[in-house]
Amino acid sequence: MSFLEFVEGPLWYFSAAVFVIGALWKVVGILRLGRKKDLSIPRASATGGALKAQFLHFIPHGGFTFRTIYHLVAGYIFHIGLFILVLFAAPHVAFIQTNIITIDWLKLPYWGFILAAQFAFAGLILLWVRRISDPVMIKISDRDDHIGSWLTFLVMLTGCMALQESVDALRATHMLLVDLWLIYFPFSRLMHAFTFAFSRGYTGAFFGRRGIVP
Amino acid sequence: MTSSGLTRLIHSIAFTTLMVWGLAFGLTGTIDASVGAAVAASQEQTAGSVPGASKGSLSISEFWRGISRGEAGKVSIPDQKSAIMINRTGETWRAVRMGPLPLVGGVLVGISLLGVLGFAVVYGKFKLHGERTGRVIPRFSQPERWVHWFVACLFIILGLTGLVLLFGRYLIKPVFGADVLGALANASLQAHNLFGPIFIVALAIMLVMYFKDNFYQKGDFTWALKGGFFSSHHPPSWKYNLGEKSWYWLLAFAGTAVCVSGVFMIFPTLLDDVKGMQLSQIVHAICAIALIAASLGHIYLGIWGVEDALDSMTLGYVDETWGLEHHRWWAEEEIKKDHAVADAPSAVLAAKNNESK
Repeated sequence: MSFLEFVEGPLWYFSAAVFVIGALWKVVGILRLGRKKDLSIPRASATGGALKAQFLHFIPHGGFTFRTIYHLVAGYIFHIGLFILVLFAAPHVAFIQTNIITIDWLKLPYWGFILAAQFAFAGLILLWVRRISDPVMIKISDRDDHIGSWLTFLVMLTGCMALQESVDALRATHMLLVDLWLIYFPFSRLMHAFTFAFSRGYTGAFFGRRGIVP
Repeated sequence: MTSSGLTRLIHSIAFTTLMVWGLAFGLTGTIDASVGAAVAASQEQTAGSVPGASKGSLSISEFWRGISRGEAGKVSIPDQKSAIMINRTGETWRAVRMGPLPLVGGVLVGISLLGVLGFAVVYGKFKLHGERTGRVIPRFSQPERWVHWFVACLFIILGLTGLVLLFGRYLIKPVFGADVLGALANASLQAHNLFGPIFIVALAIMLVMYFKDNFYQKGDFTWALKGGFFSSHHPPSWKYNLGEKSWYWLLAFAGTAVCVSGVFMIFPTLLDDVKGMQLSQIVHAICAIALIAASLGHIYLGIWGVEDALDSMTLGYVDETWGLEHHRWWAEEEIKKDHAVADAPSAVLAAKNNESK
């Protein structure tokens, strides 16, 4: 078994299992924590507030717009670029069809891949730069934040470096990092990909019950 | 044999004869098949003499030499470049690309690296002489710091991948072999082409943002004449000293040249001329090497060589003592303008309030 076959075979299945089981374990754990009984007099629906918050928090509220504009823009271009790459890059579609589901869907042309990758990289670097150049962010960023950023960056970088698909070693390096990323994911703040919904829901329910737009 | 059968036989013989003659004419240029062998024999060169049947004033040898020299012939199509069969500038470009360019470039980067290491060994770290006052002066705004680090990240990625492409044949191949070089060069090229366009945008924003304080002015050369970095006590300077201003202008001119030539290399059809592509490659490499060599000094001084210098680009402010020791004229102006604040938290708060305005 070659190294490429190993990282695309046994290691891939192991890391995917760790990712799924670990993420589920975390989510169930958070749900089981529950929340304290809210003794306030309900003025509106907490559920409605929780649902509203899911969508309203996609954009900043008026007074915070300027202060959040940097990471708002950087965050959006990174995440949108990343999702496009993960879901529509031709090598990813082929890999998913081989290993997960056999449904065919849209594949990005080469120029589309490059454009999405440039946006994703620009966003990710800008987000990390904020961690090292803002006195407050420096203080509140810990090792996990940096490892998460760097691991994601390296996964993306090796993926783009293997774009020509002419060297097995480059593809194997990319897959190895993908496997590591999947294993690291449930035990890090990368879990925000799932937990953001709970966070918004909690805040939304709290304020919604009090009749305040979350 | 009937008359129609005879007619068919005559037609067949005539057709076959015609085909044989046609073939002989096509191969020899004459209807007489026996002449073909004679022509072939007459075109054999003997003792370098011109073949007897050649036409025109040039010998066949001269004709081919002309082509190999890159001389243009005549073509009836609009694209006159196609009249040149062999472009000699390609050979000149190859000789430069494989010879002096990596050699001189490598020496320049090596000298810079050794210079920085030597400087670090001889001078060590420039420590503050005075006591820190605790009062701080804002030096770089948040957007300035974002743009600086964004460009820095891209510069490092592009620099490393560019070095692999330029020097990999000489440094990686002998140690790790051709396969490793092939993989690394392949990967580097992909990354280089991907990050290049982002760098162009980021560099343009940074040059505009830092433009204001980087004009050479009275006192800059005095700073250099008094020893600059080599002086035990920093001579006074404005917000940026002569070295920093020169780094800015190097980045402005060489960086712009790198960006423009890089665009031509990614989109070679923009030039419509192979000489332009070759020139782009040479300009790109020379300017990039100059930037990489100079950046080593900038990185050393910014991160390790000057105590607390990194704070100005991470936190955004510097201690008053640091300002007065390293950039006296600038610090005095800032203090006079009442820009210095009591402590670090006040500086952070002031910066956040300024951002919100």
